[in-house]
Amino acid sequence: MTPFRATPAGFVARWEPVEREVLARVARDVAGLLSADAGLPDEVTDQEVAFTGVARIPRDPAVQRLLPDAHREDAEVAAEFRHLTQTDLAAGKVSRLHTFADTVEAADDGGVAGPGSDGQVLVARDAAQDFAGALTDVRLVLGERLGLDDDADVEHLHHEVLTGLGVVEEADDVDPDADPDVDDAGLDAEQRSYWGGVFVAAGFAQESLMDEMLAELRARRGAG
Amino acid sequence: MTTSSATQEDTRTEEVSRLSDPWVTIVWNDPVNLMSYVAYVFESYFGYPQAKAAKLMLQVHHEGRAVVSTGPRERMEVDVQAMHGFGLWATLQQSGAPGGSAGAGEDA
Repeated sequence: MTPFRATPAGFVARWEPVEREVLARVARDVAGLLSADAGLPDEVTDQEVAFTGVARIPRDPAVQRLLPDAHREDAEVAAEFRHLTQTDLAAGKVSRLHTFADTVEAADDGGVAGPGSDGQVLVARDAAQDFAGALTDVRLVLGERLGLDDDADVEHLHHEVLTGLGVVEEADDVDPDADPDVDDAGLDAEQRSYWGGVFVAAGFAQESLMDEMLAELRARRGAG
Repeated sequence: MTTSSATQEDTRTEEVSRLSDPWVTIVWNDPVNLMSYVAYVFESYFGYPQAKAAKLMLQVHHEGRAVVSTGPRERMEVDVQAMHGFGLWATLQQSGAPGGSAGAGEDA
């Protein structure tokens, strides 16, 4: 995976086939999870059923993070907000997650842009904010699954993943409380390593995209 | 023990503060969102200058939260919905409520 770079056509990065496949799949999985848990009407089965608009609080903590309570103390305000906004918010997220997956998978089609373009992920400028938003939602769900509760957890995971890749030397001080097989979130070492890698890759992609988007936003505003 | 007259007074006081206090949008810290993404949201959505967006972003990061906008409840609902759309963890509350007045939102 290479960092996103601004080009005349949009923001471009090169992703390995496995990176495209995994990130597209996890985005579609998050879309499915969100759609089901937020109680979005199923287009196929619920077409005849009028949607009541009653938004229920998601059960899955990861979906709760994507659709959080809008008030910390006042349950009535939070419920009213959820009633007014949840369907639109969830539908918007589901839609951009699918667009993200389509965009990433489109890189497979090397024939369109000619030989040697395989693996090129092209994000049009007017689609970049949604692409970044989809990456955010994917990272939030993975972060919840990986039990990333604070900055230290995230730092530790980055270290783990980069060590696993041989990028960082193995640290000598091992956490005496650390169970080598199962972490706080109930993932075994293999799952944690896999999803940790996906989380770090998604973060790398987003970080480089945000650098370019911020630079262009500031240049635009400075000129305006 | 609260007497009924005291309760009535509390209710009146609350009504007065409801009318006079604007609402605020608060963004809370989370370990996943990138600092550059949060800065982008504050600069692009609110139109804040780079320095103000950075100040708010760092306040969220170091103090756990920041007031990012102030105004009528309906306006704050729009802002909170937008923040949730971006994937930021945001809530609204009356500015007079505990924790609602701190922050840099009022000089927007």
